[in-house]
Amino acid sequence: MINGLEAMNPFFDTEEQALIDRFLTDGYVILPAEDRADLDRIRNHVAQLAAAKLDLPAPNDAGDFLDHIHDRLSVDDLNALRLGVFEDMNAADWFRPTYYRLARRAIGWLVGNELAMQRRVNLSIQMPQDDSSTLPLHADVWAGDSAYEVVLWTPLVDCRRTKSMYILPAGPHAKFQTEFAARAAEGGVNGLFEAAKPHLVWLEIPYGHVLLFNQNLAHGNVVNEESATRWSMNCRFKQVLTPYADKRLGEFFEPITLRPATRLGAAYQLPDAGS
Amino acid sequence: MSGYRGYVSSRAIDGDRVPQRLQNLAIRDYAQRRKLFFKLSATEWAMEGCYLMLEQVVADLPDLDGVILYSLAQLPEDREKRGRLLDAFLARGAPLHAALENVAMTDASTRAQLEDLFLVRHIMRRTADPGALLR
Repeated sequence: MINGLEAMNPFFDTEEQALIDRFLTDGYVILPAEDRADLDRIRNHVAQLAAAKLDLPAPNDAGDFLDHIHDRLSVDDLNALRLGVFEDMNAADWFRPTYYRLARRAIGWLVGNELAMQRRVNLSIQMPQDDSSTLPLHADVWAGDSAYEVVLWTPLVDCRRTKSMYILPAGPHAKFQTEFAARAAEGGVNGLFEAAKPHLVWLEIPYGHVLLFNQNLAHGNVVNEESATRWSMNCRFKQVLTPYADKRLGEFFEPITLRPATRLGAAYQLPDAGS
Repeated sequence: MSGYRGYVSSRAIDGDRVPQRLQNLAIRDYAQRRKLFFKLSATEWAMEGCYLMLEQVVADLPDLDGVILYSLAQLPEDREKRGRLLDAFLARGAPLHAALENVAMTDASTRAQLEDLFLVRHIMRRTADPGALLR
């Protein structure tokens, strides 16, 4: 129960309230992409970029190509490919607005409609059995993000079990946080993971869906023990006028939907009354 | 290839805030110049005095060639705590690099130089508060 928001707020409509309740209770929501054509465009673009960097023809089946990229390159070459695709996809003018549209309405409900967005959308590629791409249990807010951000995490392939990510839902997270110092002193990061482990939820996110999650909650991934490669993107959104932490406005975030009232307010000066 | 783990901070380093992206750029550039295989950086958590990520990197040393800090100033101020971490590197024979200072601790001799650097930094910090010199 956070700030009494579980009670019906007459300013929210029923669907909006239901999504807010789910998000606050679980710490995440999984939803169909609001525009499937946009998602397909992003996936096709990424697959084409990856194929070009590997000197391969553009794939006919982008999903299958991405799922089986581990058949075409080694783990040692993976980061170079990832960085190359990351740079090129973010360089396309249409890319970030399209990424935002995948969950525009839900972000509006959960974050607001006057937003700052990460300047570059992250790309993760996790090949089967690759232990170099894991992200141990963490919360983004522990590593320089403000507490006012929501992550839009989008898989480009079906993600489940170890090919996906885990999260510690809001309920158990409250207890976890109170035991944090003791667990960390006992066993470091592994001690924290062991404390969280019984309560972790492994998110099943089929292609065509997006995940919005509260990055203040502990989450992470492990070695991908499935047979296919995970490709996913993540990007943080926050209300533009909420506090920033180490990930600053301008260098990490930029305003994307400033509204007229804010522009007018920023420009306004009281008239000189001559006194 | 085991490679070198980078280490960046999400809180101020020696009193200055350095964007993580710049820390990573410096580490990547250092690795490239020294022809070291760079593995993605661990990011230290924001809580004051927290070194959980650095301790985790040290625990992972058996699977690494070594570590590249953005700066030596990321190491714990506490001499004993810092000593334990540095001992772990020497015991493993794993070099500890610092991109900003362009140095590497590889043996007892370079470790002593590094400690001298800390000593001088410590004095300089105290001189910022002249009263502290008399305490």
